[in-house]
Amino acid sequence: MFVLKSAFEDFSRNKGRTFLTSLGIVIGVLSVVILIAFGLGLKKYINDQFQSLGSNIIRVVPGQILRGGSFSSSSGMSTIRFDSRDVLKLQRVKSASYVIPIVTRSLLVSIGKGTEPATLYASTQDIFLALNLKARYGNIFTKTDFEKRAKIAVIGPKIAAKLFGTEDAALGRIIKVDSQNFKVQGVLESKGGGGFGGPDLDSFIYMPHTTAQVFNPDKKFYAIIVKSSQDVSIATAKDEIKTALLKRYKEDDFSVIDQAELLGAIEGIFGMLNTVLVAIAAVSLVVGGIGIMNIMYVTVTERIKEIGIRRALGARKADILLQFLVESVALSILGGLLGLGLAYIIVFFMQSFFPAYIDANSVMLALGVSSIIGVVFGVFPAKKAADLSPIDAIRNE
Amino acid sequence: MIKLKNVNKSYKLDDDVVFTAVKDVSLEIKQGEFTSIIGPSGSGKSTLMHIIGLLDQPTRGSIFIDDKDVSKLNDNELSSLRNTFVGFVFQQFNLINKLTVLENILIPTIYTRSTLDYDPKEKARYLLKRFGLETKEKSFPNKISGGQQQRVAIARALIMNPKLILADEPTGNLDTKSGAEILKLLHELHDNEKITVVIVTHDPNIAKQANRIIEIRDGEIQ
Repeated sequence: MFVLKSAFEDFSRNKGRTFLTSLGIVIGVLSVVILIAFGLGLKKYINDQFQSLGSNIIRVVPGQILRGGSFSSSSGMSTIRFDSRDVLKLQRVKSASYVIPIVTRSLLVSIGKGTEPATLYASTQDIFLALNLKARYGNIFTKTDFEKRAKIAVIGPKIAAKLFGTEDAALGRIIKVDSQNFKVQGVLESKGGGGFGGPDLDSFIYMPHTTAQVFNPDKKFYAIIVKSSQDVSIATAKDEIKTALLKRYKEDDFSVIDQAELLGAIEGIFGMLNTVLVAIAAVSLVVGGIGIMNIMYVTVTERIKEIGIRRALGARKADILLQFLVESVALSILGGLLGLGLAYIIVFFMQSFFPAYIDANSVMLALGVSSIIGVVFGVFPAKKAADLSPIDAIRNE
Repeated sequence: MIKLKNVNKSYKLDDDVVFTAVKDVSLEIKQGEFTSIIGPSGSGKSTLMHIIGLLDQPTRGSIFIDDKDVSKLNDNELSSLRNTFVGFVFQQFNLINKLTVLENILIPTIYTRSTLDYDPKEKARYLLKRFGLETKEKSFPNKISGGQQQRVAIARALIMNPKLILADEPTGNLDTKSGAEILKLLHELHDNEKITVVIVTHDPNIAKQANRIIEIRDGEIQ
């Protein structure tokens, strides 16, 4: 116990030096913990986004999007495009409870002088069911609207607020999409998210694809969403969909992807990125450790005489070793705790716009790694101190 | 109590020249003696004292403490002996300046492997009082006079109840008056508590106060 007390007395005598020495560890632990928190947040974010879409959603898209669990480089370079024949074919698949063709377009939406870029999602009325979307103000469009080709739109809350100031003010107003007028029939509930590369569902504009044919004259679909019925497995549904489409297309022409696959692929990419970043941050931890070793060498040199005195009075080599080791471990744990504290503060502020969080593992990692650094980089100076002959040490001035 | 048998200590200097500080010394220090080792500077008297005090190991020869050969002990056992058997008093005092007077006196008790049958703090305070330093308990060594520092060092040497006090030029850094006081103190410890005392000095006036004088010159006993 006395070694701990003596270490902290020494720190309080050399506050400036103690702080600067542990700064390396502070920064190292801070960056590692923050990056891990960021990675965890990203994972949570992506998960939440997909969870909100529902788990029994299967996407049928042209081309090979995923290959071997990650995104293929040839994505989007396909030649085929789905049409109403494919939709009919899929509707006959037993395990498909909803088949929802989708046309997407990036376009400009305007009211008077104000213009905002938006993504158009043109589909059937079932899109709301499949994506768990509910109207907050007004109504979603119905089968009747779809069949009547009503010139209406249901818009996300974000785009509504951007165009009209408040979400409810958009209701019943006319918006201009590529010089065509549409009446806002409903404003959706917020699904959250957006802003970090994920789909920002709150900024989408939804309308019947029958209405949207003005933007899509060749009546082709960008993708088909299939919601499988609850009583079959996703795998079975996927197989059936594939079989149905293979009658017309080749294996490579299209992909049938479920949420888990997509999630896995996205997580794989971000996980890799995060690992690289954490590895880079870990380098600064090592640099911090070397800083501690440096200062411990200086401390040993400064205190050779004290070491000699202690040895003369009965301290064994192990006692001296322990004293310096405790000091260097305390120094790095101090840095580790400080880094962790700072990370908590930063993550706390980050949480207002991103779901980053620090888990128990990163706390243990931070403290574990900093104490290991203390031992590893403290052991050489401490050994040097312990191995001095008592009389040579005492004579040292 | 302590026997040295044909003890040699030599150092290798540059260019492979070997310097022998202590040559073939055999001596015995008996329990209860007050011995002085006298010699000019460079005579090897300090080296001899370091060997007696187990701070340094001889190149050749054997040391017996209570008839036990200590040349064969490992570092931990030697540390334990330094801790319990010997009390050191140095010319430079060798107090640790960042520790208070009381903490300095207590250092040997931190490192002891045996359980003490007394309260170390109580004993330290008793020694401070006895040496007229009761008000200096919380002072730091560099804030008190040389004489006071040397008394603190003696208190530290006594905290473990050693059988032997080794004093290396204990008055060397003190004025005449303080030096005389320190010597008086060492004599009192010898007379009243029957502690064996060995003083190393170059001063014949100090040496002749001892009841046995060992003169050393060029590493050899005269």
